[in-house]
Amino acid sequence: MTEFFAQNPLYIVLAIVLVIWFAIYGYLFRLERRIHDLEQSANR
Amino acid sequence: MSGKIRAFPWKGLLGVWTTLVIVLALALPMVPQPRFWYEFPIVPGLEDKARIIFFHVPTAWLSVLAFVSSMVYGIRYLRTKDLRWDLRSASAAGLGLLFCVLATVTGAIWAKFSWGTFWNWDPRQTSIFVLLLIYGAYFALRSAVEVEEKRASLAAVYAVIAGVVMPFFMFVIPRVLESLHPEPLVNLEGSVGGLPAPKLQMNGTMLAVFLASLAAFTGVYYWMWTLRVRAAALELRRATEGENRD
Repeated sequence: MTEFFAQNPLYIVLAIVLVIWFAIYGYLFRLERRIHDLEQSANR
Repeated sequence: MSGKIRAFPWKGLLGVWTTLVIVLALALPMVPQPRFWYEFPIVPGLEDKARIIFFHVPTAWLSVLAFVSSMVYGIRYLRTKDLRWDLRSASAAGLGLLFCVLATVTGAIWAKFSWGTFWNWDPRQTSIFVLLLIYGAYFALRSAVEVEEKRASLAAVYAVIAGVVMPFFMFVIPRVLESLHPEPLVNLEGSVGGLPAPKLQMNGTMLAVFLASLAAFTGVYYWMWTLRVRAAALELRRATEGENRD
């Protein structure tokens, strides 16, 4: 396993970029829900 | 003006699309002579470092898009004096600055591996640094004025001037002065001052992934922009209601 990643470091880059993207996506998704809730309560 | 900004509707599609783009951009093999549809051509002098194009160029493209949007919304504010246009202009400028920083950082990381140093005041680096200063000053200006209408007017005028100046720093100056920066789409000769510069010739697969990446980044930008505008509109509404109560 270690040898595979040593020979193919791009897969480590791929894993890191995917983690960053999922974190950004999750953050934006949660932000969207919170803003939606605030809009709903402001309209009431 | 048109009503409030609606929520971004294609979140699920954007999530899958962007994930796919990231996997394709980084996992497809680079070979000297591509024979299969899933192979990228090797770029002499860049090799795997050429994959930065899938992330670096979209961030630079989005900073241009955001700065132009900021200028257009600034003009609309000046014509209507409606503060909601100012919110849209400021939100676009903020995201433009964010993507400009990302383009600078990703470019500097690439430069470290290609040129041996993060920063060497190449014309491309110098011009984007000046752009960062220009849009950094935009937010300094906004934070220096307390009266909303006055702040919005000054910021709108500044956004228009900055938007006019921006193409010179983004497109003209780096091409007038000699630079080591690869020019995949414009410098078809692939040379700088008679010396060979890395030339990026994409095959169909690479171009498709590149365009898919541009679309994915643009989707992420639009989603972020709608969130910023909606949050700023809520804040404005709360402030206005507070003033009315007082």
